[in-house]
Amino acid sequence: MLNRNSTIENPKTPFLHLSLFFISGVGIAYQIAIMRIFSIAQWHHFAYMIISIAMLGFGASGTVLTLLRSRIRGREPDMFRATSLLLAAAIFLCYEWSQRIPFETFHLVAQARQYVYLAQLYVVLAIPFFLVSTCITLAFFLGPRRIGLVYFVNMAGSGLGAAAAVALLYLFPPERIPYLLAFGVGMAALLVCGPSGVRRWKWISVSALILFAGWVWIQGMAPIRISEYKVLSYTLQFPDAEIVGRAQSPLSQLTAVTSRHIRETPGQISNYPMHELGPLPEQAGLFFDAGAVSVINRFDGDPSDLVYLDYVTPALPYRLMDEPDTLIIGAGGGTDVLMALHHGASHVTAVEVDPRVFPMMDEYFREFSGRLYERDDVTPVVAEGRGFLEAREGGRYDVIQIALLDAFSAAASGVYALSESYLYTREAVDLYLDHLSPNGVLAITRWLKTPPRDAIKMFATLVEAAERAGIEAPEHHIAFIRSWNTGTILLSRSPFTEKQVEAIRAFSRDRWFDVVHYPGIVPDEVNRYTVLEEPTYYLAAQAILSPDREAFYEDYLFYVRPATDDRPYFFQFFKWGSFRELMREMGMEWVAFVEWGYIALVATIVQGGVVSALLILLPLGVLTRRAETKGKRRWVLLYFAMLGLAFMFLEIAFIQKFMLFLAYPVYSVAVVLTSFLIFSGLGSLTADYFQTRGRTVLTAAVIGIGVVTGFYLLTLPALFSAWAGWTDAARVGGSVLLLGPLAYFMGMPFPTGMQLVSDRYGAMVPWAWGINGFASVMGASLATFTSIHLGFRVLVLLAVLLYMVAGMSYLRLRRNS
Amino acid sequence: MNRYIISVTSAIVGILIAVSTGRADESDRFTQLRERMVKQDIEARGVRDEATLRAMRAVERHKFVSEDMIRMAYADRPLPIGYGQTISQPYIVAAMTELLQVREGDVVLEIGAGSGYQAAVLAEIVDRVYTIEIVPELAELSASRMKDYGYDNVEVKEGDGYFGWEEHAPFDAIIVTAAATHIPPPLVEQLKPGGRMVIPVGPPMRVQNLMLVEKQEDGSITQRNIMAVRFVPLTGER
Repeated sequence: MLNRNSTIENPKTPFLHLSLFFISGVGIAYQIAIMRIFSIAQWHHFAYMIISIAMLGFGASGTVLTLLRSRIRGREPDMFRATSLLLAAAIFLCYEWSQRIPFETFHLVAQARQYVYLAQLYVVLAIPFFLVSTCITLAFFLGPRRIGLVYFVNMAGSGLGAAAAVALLYLFPPERIPYLLAFGVGMAALLVCGPSGVRRWKWISVSALILFAGWVWIQGMAPIRISEYKVLSYTLQFPDAEIVGRAQSPLSQLTAVTSRHIRETPGQISNYPMHELGPLPEQAGLFFDAGAVSVINRFDGDPSDLVYLDYVTPALPYRLMDEPDTLIIGAGGGTDVLMALHHGASHVTAVEVDPRVFPMMDEYFREFSGRLYERDDVTPVVAEGRGFLEAREGGRYDVIQIALLDAFSAAASGVYALSESYLYTREAVDLYLDHLSPNGVLAITRWLKTPPRDAIKMFATLVEAAERAGIEAPEHHIAFIRSWNTGTILLSRSPFTEKQVEAIRAFSRDRWFDVVHYPGIVPDEVNRYTVLEEPTYYLAAQAILSPDREAFYEDYLFYVRPATDDRPYFFQFFKWGSFRELMREMGMEWVAFVEWGYIALVATIVQGGVVSALLILLPLGVLTRRAETKGKRRWVLLYFAMLGLAFMFLEIAFIQKFMLFLAYPVYSVAVVLTSFLIFSGLGSLTADYFQTRGRTVLTAAVIGIGVVTGFYLLTLPALFSAWAGWTDAARVGGSVLLLGPLAYFMGMPFPTGMQLVSDRYGAMVPWAWGINGFASVMGASLATFTSIHLGFRVLVLLAVLLYMVAGMSYLRLRRNS
Repeated sequence: MNRYIISVTSAIVGILIAVSTGRADESDRFTQLRERMVKQDIEARGVRDEATLRAMRAVERHKFVSEDMIRMAYADRPLPIGYGQTISQPYIVAAMTELLQVREGDVVLEIGAGSGYQAAVLAEIVDRVYTIEIVPELAELSASRMKDYGYDNVEVKEGDGYFGWEEHAPFDAIIVTAAATHIPPPLVEQLKPGGRMVIPVGPPMRVQNLMLVEKQEDGSITQRNIMAVRFVPLTGER
């Protein structure tokens, strides 16, 4: 019989649940902040790998507490206080330590000691996760009869922590956040020693807070150690380079730099006669996360001066029409806007996803940029490109230009370093076509890769989208030219006219660009200026336009099928089927020729799998000595592993899906995380309510998850379309309402199982918590992997299946041995 | 006393002999490593130009890397030299040198001196090498190396390579190791008709392909994208 009156409020630890609430929030905020910090310091995919491995610290606490359970029995309140105090210190000290480790991703191939540094980073960054998780497990010990309530507090704290982290990232540079969080945990530690607390602990907490303040006062806050290989580091070595401004958002950190040595063009300018037309205009750079740069050209208000902008491949669409009404997606520092104006655009709508770009332009480069975004013929819009178009009626623009600046999608927001790009899917191209005027042209430019792949994938995407739009002979609507490093592909709503075809031919000839496809192209015309060993682009374009397209997709060395909204990974080109050939022909050199982000993901899964397996198995030695756990260990393992994986599968799937609806990736991350955690917390509270009355809700939960996800799979695209015109606030509200029911049911299984374990097999509580922690961390990487290869729908269905497996293992667990 | 002097002197002489023998041994070891590097990593991978192979044998690569990298100096991999720069892997240095088709009497411009190794390799073949480096510390380091190792035919300038080196133009060959979104037009202008320019392309520590720019007699250029490694056909295996 359960004691109905027992609560989490242990008399020795007043305000425990409030303290736990703070600590849980800090845990997730720390994760988000450290992800941002490492996205700036290194690259987002390596940041993803480092943080994912470090997060295994969450599971590791379960292992350690299982091993030490007998030693800490009876000392839980003191342990909780000590751990929360340690956490406060660890959060900022570990951040500082991590920035002193001279790790350099690119040196891994040359210096064995870099592996030691990497291991150090894993351990240092794992410590705060370990301590957060220890606090939560101790709270389970302190309120063993109300697991659902403890879990609710944990989830609610985490949910608000996620929202708070995003808000903090608007207000402060990411390197300050560990210090703010340390202060927050310090306050939580004080709370737990509250008015009726133990005097000794109160004094320790106050002294620690004073010490912390003193440390920060004297030492200052440690800056982020940015890799020497990032473009910003390289640029700052120019003798006259100067940082003139910085701005923060959860999307990225922007750094404005001036130097007369910055010279960026949207691709090769092969025959630009500099001695006749003069040098490029002076430029400044806006650096996103110390990596990608968007340049600002000095502009005196007369667009005809910027002649060099007629010497790059993205200028092609302007050669085909007069005074086009133009939409630029990814306006950044304005090079593409200037290109449109230079070619006589009647009006330019400049869409930029990062809300800090226009204010930065205004603050630091207003005169330098010739007040570009204040002109009557330019309308700046802060929006994600697709969201902007979804909310508008179609049929307006003569040119839709998607700039080289890769969209700062969720990958750049960094929270999970997913690399979806909804700008480059087949459905996105459908949308662009809808918004073109009857003779309008969509122009997409990509940096070319070696061996050829992404421009080929883009070409395939445009061809398939044209066919979906009912265009019968896409070869008459599509053109593709390339320089040595850029490829520009045009898709026109009407077939290209003779005059336009001649313009494409003349432009390419005059500018020394290679033609890859236009209506009526003949093989003799291709591969003339930047000569490839084979005319690969031409052959690929011909294959895609022929009935042999499927065979081409199958046979090509890289994955070049169009990305779709179900699998929006345009930048994923790796094919496991080609792996053996790559290895056979190139040995380890193959690594240089595939996307590193994908390798980092696979490395994360392998490393995480090994560490998790070891740490999950480690406590078995202790557990096997206890008779009551006999025959139940495998079901505990299965149940909590399935729950961890399934929860993360759904969370990642919906972050990915709502990114499209909420337009801003960062909104999606914040809204989905916060809703999932808070509503799961409420589900957990409900489970607790029924549990205290001797009933379990697990079956209802699994059925609920199945029904709600089934409903989403069938209706989400239609709902998103119907609600596209809503305001931001209404869409956030709508998302919360949509996510709520699913998350509510998802919150029930964990406390249900944990309560059973706590009541009957108490020794396994930390182990179960640890398993769930490992599975959650692995679940995030596996979800991305599954989504890349099998898509959103399969990922969601898999999650439901995992919940069903968990349900069955619960039944086995409950059965009396 | 005499015995004492004799024993001390013998010890000193012994040490000197051991040190010089050790040095000789070390020098021999590097020569062997270099020979192996040329045979296994350069010749075996298709570099055939005699002048290039001779230069690769002659230049002591271990003198162009930092102390902690000496052990790896003759491995076929790029090594970090600080400031976000690398010394290219030996095969790439040889492949670029061969592609330039430089001969005795030529004048070569290099943009991005870095460690100075590529300039030294070129200096073994041609009459004169002009090299520009924008990072002051690297410019100073490579200049002092050229002086110390007796490469009198190399001139290092600290500065911006974008506009080339007008007073020494035109050049028979140009090598550009600093990545950019476009080939600086002044460099094309400073290339002699019939001259060649090579640009390695790829992420840090890796070269994926070599861009070869050839200037025709009429002043126009052709560009060739040459894969840095042998590569499988892109279609048709399965």
